[in-house]
Amino acid sequence: MLLLALIGPYIAPFDPLAIDFRNRLVEPSWTHLLGTDGSGRDVLSRILYGAKLTILSTVTVIATVLFFGCILGIFSAFVGGTIDNFLMRIADVWLGFPPLILALGFAAALGSSLEAAILALIFSWWPTYARLSRMITVDILSKKFVASANALGVSTARKVTHYVLPNAFDILIIQVTLDISAVMLAISGLSFIGVGAQIPQPEWGAMIADGRSFTSKGWWVVTFPGLMIFITAMSFNIIGDMLRRELDPTLVTRH
Amino acid sequence: MSESEAPLLQIRDLSKTFERRYLVQQSNFSLRSIDLELFDGEVVGILGESGSGKSTLANIITRLTPYRDGEIFYRGKEIRSHSPSEIFKYKSEVQIVFQDPYGSLNPRSTIRNSIKEGLRLHQSHLSRQDMDARVEELLKSVGLVSENPEKFPHEFSGGQRQRIAIARAIAVQPTLLICDEPLSSLDVSIQAQIIELFASLIEEYRLTMLFISHDINVVRLLCDRVYVMSDGRIVEYGKTSEILNNPKNDYTVKLIESVF
Amino acid sequence: MPGAASATNASRDDAVLKLENVSIALSATRTTMVHSVSLSIDRGEIFGLAGESGSGKTLLMRTLFGLHDDAIIESGRMTFKGAEISSSGHRKRVRKLLGHEIGFVPQDPFSSLNPTMRIGKQIREALYLGKGISPKSGEAGKIALDLLDEVGISEPELAVDQFPDQFSGGMRQRIVIAIALSQEPSILVADEPTTALDAFTQRRIINLIIERSRTRNLTVILISHNLELLRQNVDRIAVMYGGQLFNILDSGEISEGAAHPYTVALFNCIPRKDMTLGDIRSIPGEPLSAGYGLTGCAFSKRCGLRQDVCDSSLIPVNSALARSFDACLVKAGRQA
Repeated sequence: MLLLALIGPYIAPFDPLAIDFRNRLVEPSWTHLLGTDGSGRDVLSRILYGAKLTILSTVTVIATVLFFGCILGIFSAFVGGTIDNFLMRIADVWLGFPPLILALGFAAALGSSLEAAILALIFSWWPTYARLSRMITVDILSKKFVASANALGVSTARKVTHYVLPNAFDILIIQVTLDISAVMLAISGLSFIGVGAQIPQPEWGAMIADGRSFTSKGWWVVTFPGLMIFITAMSFNIIGDMLRRELDPTLVTRH
Repeated sequence: MSESEAPLLQIRDLSKTFERRYLVQQSNFSLRSIDLELFDGEVVGILGESGSGKSTLANIITRLTPYRDGEIFYRGKEIRSHSPSEIFKYKSEVQIVFQDPYGSLNPRSTIRNSIKEGLRLHQSHLSRQDMDARVEELLKSVGLVSENPEKFPHEFSGGQRQRIAIARAIAVQPTLLICDEPLSSLDVSIQAQIIELFASLIEEYRLTMLFISHDINVVRLLCDRVYVMSDGRIVEYGKTSEILNNPKNDYTVKLIESVF
Repeated sequence: MPGAASATNASRDDAVLKLENVSIALSATRTTMVHSVSLSIDRGEIFGLAGESGSGKTLLMRTLFGLHDDAIIESGRMTFKGAEISSSGHRKRVRKLLGHEIGFVPQDPFSSLNPTMRIGKQIREALYLGKGISPKSGEAGKIALDLLDEVGISEPELAVDQFPDQFSGGMRQRIVIAIALSQEPSILVADEPTTALDAFTQRRIINLIIERSRTRNLTVILISHNLELLRQNVDRIAVMYGGQLFNILDSGEISEGAAHPYTVALFNCIPRKDMTLGDIRSIPGEPLSAGYGLTGCAFSKRCGLRQDVCDSSLIPVNSALARSFDACLVKAGRQA
């Protein structure tokens, strides 16, 4: 899927933005494998370009919230006390808003563009990771092997890198794989309702939004981007599961 | 040991109360006015039931839990007045082995790295090869001769893990080793192995040991002197043989009677 | 000894539980974990089952009494009070008995009581399920009070209205025993009932179980890894290792050296009052897990008496249901 996103633009047979009104809503054929949309743009090319756009936006959102969320959560767990309570209450209140609604507000304030949608999602998604990473860290810090490290005088930085992060990894990765699909759907959703990527940008959600008026005349215009969202979301879940199995030493046996 | 010799570790009037937490039942793990002395080369037992405060005491001595009331002197110096470098040194001289061999090793770290952790910190002058050689040597002295140090903790049995935890604790060549119920989660035949291991380590490394246990018969085997704890207090102390054969305190009498 | 022979005969007729060549397998993989165990337990007898973790002792008992969902009786006969219950539908049949003919006291008293139900109600519920006494009736209430009194709970009138978390571990274990006794079972299975408790309470709970057994003529199977505890409290002991039954002997015989080498070795591992450091003899190596099979003695690699025969021959099984039994191949060879 990542490969598709990387090489997609190079193997795309047509310019995804090229409008060709003579070939509007052409059914899937050998020239246009997945047909053309209402403005005569090649759907396959748009999907291939869109792969890059959609996946890149999703990864940006996830990477950012993972990074900042974890920093905040781990910091909060190590410091403890009032600061910890304060940070977590903020996160709790934040979590109270549904991300999509919050993102809607942000998008409305920042104007409608894909960048605004990404930013909005980052702002609404961080508490999940802050909360989760804090919970995991508190749990790990209460373990006896951390007490042993404390008895040896292991530094805080080393405790984070060698004790907390490796043990937090698999729970975080599960959350990430779950969230990748959620974020992807959110971006597409935001684009679909018109506050994210704007037509003619070949973003999958925007494509569906654009195509919905032709559903009866050109089913392919909405079906293929939708299918792509579905396949991508699922494959990330599978990759996450494989990654977890690969990286967890307790699932490796040796004699 | 002579009377004039200064104790290695001296605890005076140590108390610790845990604050009652909102809506949570108060756990009674407090310490009340503990006095304890530990001389160089001694193996001293602390005998008591669960909840008597034994583990709290161990955590305070190893600086894992802070304390306010009372004093702890290590080589004559109050440990709260230690400078950061003295704290660091203290942590290499006082080590602890916990009860649960399953939770006391980092599951994501090979046993080589777990054992090396202390060497990295406290014997950083050693080269990589020297450290690895030292790890092999330590594994050998805890009876894990042909084990691959690149394995992870979950690949070992409980008894083997406890040996690894002991190797990690003695890696930094501590003066004082605190053992908090090191046998109670092990199988009978493995308990006997670890008792023998402790006996040989005490000899080999000339360890001073604080052995915390609820098992009178194990304390009888390993300890020169014993303190009996109940409900956060020390109710009786003295030579192991005297206390266990001729207990004066009611609680000690009851405790001894209840053992199979 | 003519006396011993007649005792054997008597035990056959009087047996509460008879196991004949019972093997236990995991239902998922069909791996046999416990091999061909034969023994017979008399009415009113206090029987100990010893072994380290992984020996198969708990697996055997839990499977026999229908408490293990992942294992089945693969072969052999289990006879309970003269009726065979090991054939088809074993789990269903045994579960019917569980809770009135068979009482069970698990290891952990903290999770075996319903935390949201008052003690009195839990006992009345058990009485209803086991004997059909209406939970609302005054009779049920009175029996509940008597039972709590019997297991040594002071002020039972107060206790019935309390919740489990208001009791210590030892007290909860007493309540669990009271619930087990409420069914007037003929056999009480106690699986390491004291390992979660401290030394004081340990002795009191064991004493309670033994004493109840004597007054009610109740058969008890006490499962423990502590041979010394068993030696002091039970009549006969069976010792298991690696899924094999090694030894059945009167508890008095343990220290006399007539026992199976593993029994002796296990006994010497336990620090006792009269021992010094030099008396402790650990067993080298790691205990073997159940599922070793019958070819060769599971203990041979750790055994000081090991001979070639230990690895090649089938170990003896107690098909005759003898009162005492020794599966040591070396000893068997010497006698032959």
